[in-house]
Amino acid sequence: MAKLDLSRRSFLKASVIAGVSVYVAPLGGKAFAALFEEKLLTPVKWSGKDGKAQFRIDGIAKVTGSKVFARDARARDMPHWPDQQSHAFILRATRADRSYEGFDLTLLGDELQPDRIVTAEDLARDGVKFPAFYGEDMLLPKGKTPAYLGHAVAILIYHEFAKFRFAKDTLKFHDEVIRYGAVTGPLERDPWGTFRFVRVGGTTPFDDDVFSSLKNAPVFPNMMRKHQPVWPDGQEHGKLGEQGMFYAGKIQDELDHPPADWLVFDREYHTQSIDTAALEPDNANCWYDAANQALHMIVPSQGPLEVVESATELINGAKARFPVKQLFVHPCFTVGYGSKDHYNVPFYGLVCALYGDGKPVRLAFDRYEHFQTSIKRHAFKMHYRIAVDKKTGLMQAFKGDFEANGGGRANFSPSVAMVGATAAQSVYYFPKNDFAAVAIASRAIDAGSARGYGTLQSMAATEMAVDEIAEKLGMDPIDFRLKNVLKSGMKNTQGAIPAGAIRADEVMEKAKVHPIWANRAKKKADFDTKNPGQRYGVGFACVQKDFGTGAESSFAKVEIGEDGTISLFHTGNEIGTGMSTSQALAVAKWLGFPAGDAHFGVTDWADLPVVTSGNPYLMSQAEQNKVSANPRWSPAYASPASATNSAFYYTHSTREAARVVFMHGLWPAAMAIWGQGIGGGQAGPLVVRVEDARWVDGKLSAGGLQALPFEQLVKKAHELGLVTGATVHVFNRWRWSEADFDIAGKPVRLPIDGLSLKYGSGAKPADKAKAATRGGYHVLDRKKVYIPDVQMNNAAVTYYSAVGTLVELAVHEASGKVEVLNHHSIMECGSQLSPQLVSGQLQGGVAMGIGHALHEFLPLYEDGPGNGTWNFNRYHVPRAKDVVVWKQTGEVLPPVTETDPPKGIAEVVMIPVVGAIVNGIAHAIGHRFTDLPVTPEKIQEVLA
Amino acid sequence: MSIANKPLSLTINGKAVGPLLVPEGLMMIDFLHEYVALTGSRLGCGQGVCRACVAILDNPDGTSEEIRTCITGAHFFQGKKIRTVEAHAKRNDKGEVVELSPIQQAFLEHYSFQCGYCTPGFVNAATVLVEKLKRQPVDKDKVEETITDALNDHICRCTGYVRYYEAVKEVVMNTPGLVKGGKA
Ligand code: FES
Ligand code: FES
Repeated sequence: MAKLDLSRRSFLKASVIAGVSVYVAPLGGKAFAALFEEKLLTPVKWSGKDGKAQFRIDGIAKVTGSKVFARDARARDMPHWPDQQSHAFILRATRADRSYEGFDLTLLGDELQPDRIVTAEDLARDGVKFPAFYGEDMLLPKGKTPAYLGHAVAILIYHEFAKFRFAKDTLKFHDEVIRYGAVTGPLERDPWGTFRFVRVGGTTPFDDDVFSSLKNAPVFPNMMRKHQPVWPDGQEHGKLGEQGMFYAGKIQDELDHPPADWLVFDREYHTQSIDTAALEPDNANCWYDAANQALHMIVPSQGPLEVVESATELINGAKARFPVKQLFVHPCFTVGYGSKDHYNVPFYGLVCALYGDGKPVRLAFDRYEHFQTSIKRHAFKMHYRIAVDKKTGLMQAFKGDFEANGGGRANFSPSVAMVGATAAQSVYYFPKNDFAAVAIASRAIDAGSARGYGTLQSMAATEMAVDEIAEKLGMDPIDFRLKNVLKSGMKNTQGAIPAGAIRADEVMEKAKVHPIWANRAKKKADFDTKNPGQRYGVGFACVQKDFGTGAESSFAKVEIGEDGTISLFHTGNEIGTGMSTSQALAVAKWLGFPAGDAHFGVTDWADLPVVTSGNPYLMSQAEQNKVSANPRWSPAYASPASATNSAFYYTHSTREAARVVFMHGLWPAAMAIWGQGIGGGQAGPLVVRVEDARWVDGKLSAGGLQALPFEQLVKKAHELGLVTGATVHVFNRWRWSEADFDIAGKPVRLPIDGLSLKYGSGAKPADKAKAATRGGYHVLDRKKVYIPDVQMNNAAVTYYSAVGTLVELAVHEASGKVEVLNHHSIMECGSQLSPQLVSGQLQGGVAMGIGHALHEFLPLYEDGPGNGTWNFNRYHVPRAKDVVVWKQTGEVLPPVTETDPPKGIAEVVMIPVVGAIVNGIAHAIGHRFTDLPVTPEKIQEVLA
Repeated sequence: MSIANKPLSLTINGKAVGPLLVPEGLMMIDFLHEYVALTGSRLGCGQGVCRACVAILDNPDGTSEEIRTCITGAHFFQGKKIRTVEAHAKRNDKGEVVELSPIQQAFLEHYSFQCGYCTPGFVNAATVLVEKLKRQPVDKDKVEETITDALNDHICRCTGYVRYYEAVKEVVMNTPGLVKGGKA
């Protein structure tokens, strides 16, 4: 009994995946308007003068408490859904060392029994399985040992809210509901992934490498023995892996038998598992409409396309029992810091709907459940050996062993372990390195792409190490860092040369003269005398963080209507970082104004068909060459939103689309106006170059010509049938794919791999005929494409931004409490798209870093969140008083030139403060902690 | 156990609501979300720690206070008056926002929030603070401390609080009558 006939509505069809039509788009109507972000975005208020937004595009909806989160949506808000909302919760095993043998709901009495119970038997009978990425046993069958703490065993569905509420409250903390059998011990499994990066540089950092991952190859184990990797034997002229192990052996030898003037530093660091503590707990609200064979999903997700693909995979496996012809996905605003990217809750929500007896079912975790299941930041164990030449103060070799605890499901653990290892060099140059990383499987909760992504773990440790090494050498810690800093053109530990100017040295120079650093000795003496029982310390750390995944892709479409409205459509989704605002602003570089009409999380790209196949990380060069002959092919379709990909990667597609509209629409329109009249009009006597074009107060001028208002240009461009809209697809594997196109008969090379054009209303009939897509676009066939070689995959990371943080703190001797007194950060982020958003990210990141260093901790196993008893009463998320709200400061290095691309900073900003706090504690009390977080108990132990 | 319903009447955002049959023992946040479709009071912890769920309780004596709807039973509000985040902005007949409250406007202009999940709690807490300062102005040199004490219990994971606090300070300093001891 739908209130609205879907077939008549203007849903946009995204695509047909394996026989299922997928729709991701808003309906009209008020309740829908409340749900979908597109209606919640108000045009950016824009100051033409300083180019700053006056407030966020999504601001009004958020500040008035509108329904913007998936969590806010109920069935009655959906015009085409039945009104009645059902509710579900999940029973979970809280032991992972014995077999699961069912459950007992007698506690619920007669009145609170669920309307429907779903177990593994139902799923097996009906062919319902997790999408492959998520592994097996979506619900654990009886007789098996849970793979991890909190493994789901059954879903209870209620059609009445009050019953659901009281039943859930009744069972909360009652582990005895679950029955167990024989003790089996926890499952033992092979690691989720292992990697080894060996590099021996040439004579200077600028010479060719003797051996490196990029030049040769990373090393992979031959096999696993007792769940441990077995590495190849070293052979100087053997296979690539054997060669790598030969050099690894030499590095080991040198560290074991160092020359007399080397210091070999040896430490083990531990960093904890944390919850990203996204304030919106995980949830989904889904409806399976059997009569119409339609499935509807409201989900918070950082990657709606992944949800679409995985949901399609799931329903295709179950189509005999639950046929689905149409899939409607409604992605919402969300925040996750990585924890809502490739997480499994949307699929549990989907399964609830399949068994919801035709009713929409809401699965909304409370905070205990969120802690119990949400994607965690990996705990790391790191063994560092670093050799330094005592005479020169230059670091010589770095051997690192990294163990990331990936928990019960693979998720992104292999890649997090790899990224952690490749980031360990932080901002320094090492002539030789051997990094071995393993992501282990354990009974802990799954860890995944949490903000920091392995780099927080390894770089914070490196910053603690270099600080201690400097002390051992009797050097100033910043001087020691400067001596070893990686400079532009030097290679990273994989043998790749980072893109663009490396500016960590500038960050350090600034820190060195900052009063917090320069006056620290005197201030400590004064403070300690004046404040008996407290000890003052100053710490510094500086890191640079890669951003991106090595297979970043996105779509963007920019259009100018006849009335001058600039519309932007983008695959990226808002995840709280202000991405929607910054992208709307990014078009202004080319079009003079931000997009007033902006749409994110768009999945309908019928106006630019792109296909993809294979795995962008693993495919061979031959395969890539072959498939890229198809002008529609790209190595990847669209990347999920992360905190840092919007600034750099999303802006690229947005701006390239805007640039095409400018170069082939507004600019020729301007030339036509300037060229009117005898002798080429006012442009006749002048040399007019597009490089001289400037937007000033909404008008375009170039080299002394009359400034033309935007509206006039738009009108002309439409009149002449010039390009008024462009859809682009882009791909980046540490370099952008480029392609040659013919636009209006002229060859152009652009840093994109797919392009379609819309022509103004006055377009010639021939052009109009070509514009055959649903949105009226002319899809161009690229003439030639230049996709970065697959070899670039071995480079691992080549885009960096740098941040340094100084921390002043006091250690309270009696309580062991560390009080952060002040902090100052210096960052380099290219050109800022929105200074308010950048400083907001800095402040938020530093707070999260303070939490990691001092407060946040989750035991991995039985006492940890898998047992369902964790909440904010015992997991301390930093409050205002913990982060020095009123005094903290930050500064941003000016871009080298205004053409610097904006860089992602959301992750890097949280990292240096971690090292700086630990180094500051060492300055305060003379003890170097290697185990995070540094709690009052640990300090009391040391001071006792 | 059995579910016992009881009638509940109260005033929410200036409108009389009820009597509605509401189970005894149901928390106010569930009542707001599931019985009257007001979802702006957000569930963060459900145990009274994070303050994402706070509403404003307006007392008969003209004072008001923050109240945590996740740990306060719905029936506690029988006959009482509350405001939720949905109360503050002025709307036209179509339900569109035509004017924000000064605190909301300041949060917007300062880019105070990111994801916005915690925002309703901060809006309510800051509103209560401003209203309290109208009755009891604070010394100019105590403004920062006063704001910190009023808002410190509110958790925000995204922002590091700075832009929230600066926005509240601006409102406090620029609203006549909230600050003593010299001009703002
Ligand atoms: S949800 Fe009520 S205080 Fe956290
Ligand atoms: S803005 Fe996201 S929790 Fe505060």
